[in-house]
Amino acid sequence: MSHFKFPVINPLLHSDLRLKIMVALDSLESADFMYLCQITDSTRGNLSIQITTLKDAGYLDVSKSGIGRFSRTVCRITRKGREALHAYEDGLRKMFEEEIPQKDNLIINKTQEL
Amino acid sequence: MTTTDELSVISQIRGEVKGNRVPTGENLFLAWGYPTAFFLLVEFFALILWDKIWCSWIWLGIPLVGTPLMVYFLNEDYERTHRRTLDQNVILQMWIFVGFLSCLGGVTMGFAGVFPMLYCTFQGLLVSFGCLMTGLILHFRPKTVCGIFGSALSFVSLFFQGDLWPWQLLVAVLVTILTLIIPGHLFRHYVRMERKLASL
Repeated sequence: MSHFKFPVINPLLHSDLRLKIMVALDSLESADFMYLCQITDSTRGNLSIQITTLKDAGYLDVSKSGIGRFSRTVCRITRKGREALHAYEDGLRKMFEEEIPQKDNLIINKTQEL
Repeated sequence: MTTTDELSVISQIRGEVKGNRVPTGENLFLAWGYPTAFFLLVEFFALILWDKIWCSWIWLGIPLVGTPLMVYFLNEDYERTHRRTLDQNVILQMWIFVGFLSCLGGVTMGFAGVFPMLYCTFQGLLVSFGCLMTGLILHFRPKTVCGIFGSALSFVSLFFQGDLWPWQLLVAVLVTILTLIIPGHLFRHYVRMERKLASL
């Protein structure tokens, strides 16, 4: 019996859209609302809510600036956010690596039975 | 979502962000190159014609014109691409530092009285270094090569001392053409081609 201890999953990042936002910003210095809308393929309302959630958690730094009649929302990932994302990704990889050997053992056992 | 789904989302988004990297900032080199060449030429002719001490401060026009142009083109780039990559940020910070050192060096040397001896070499080396580093970061070989030749050419100005010192400014103009204007046009052409290919 394996004694694999499942890593604690960060509930804030365990959402499709929030994870996409964080990963996109992790690879960039900054991106505006339009870019995030396009890369995450989400609606403006939903994206706005998720950005606010991440901002409140201290994972994103959001700044607004006015250009003529329009305002531009620019998002940057904070150090805390980057650390949380990398910890989350490491946790996922550990779980994934643990899943594969278990599946392999299952296949080996089944072939032996046959 | 399962673990596999989440990991595939992460790699997919990373791939999209990194794959969609048409370089930007194609006008920035020209925005600095042309004002630099212009003000250095004006300074050269002013010194040849009038030989007044205030003429050696004409170079201060470079940051006064270059900075607003840079801000304008940076905003334009952001409006078009809606993002700034980590590479772009490194290059921008490096050029801000190069510009700051160049201005600080000019002012300090002006007050210390060594401006005519050293400034053109100092500024040429700084700009060539910036050009070389930008070429290396962007993997754009013409900039790297121009940066190397520009730094070698900067030392030529050391041969013009004493009464001949205004001729250093002409060497500085050549360095500017070699490190900012020529690679600027080549980079502009390259970016436009890349953008055209990406839009196909």
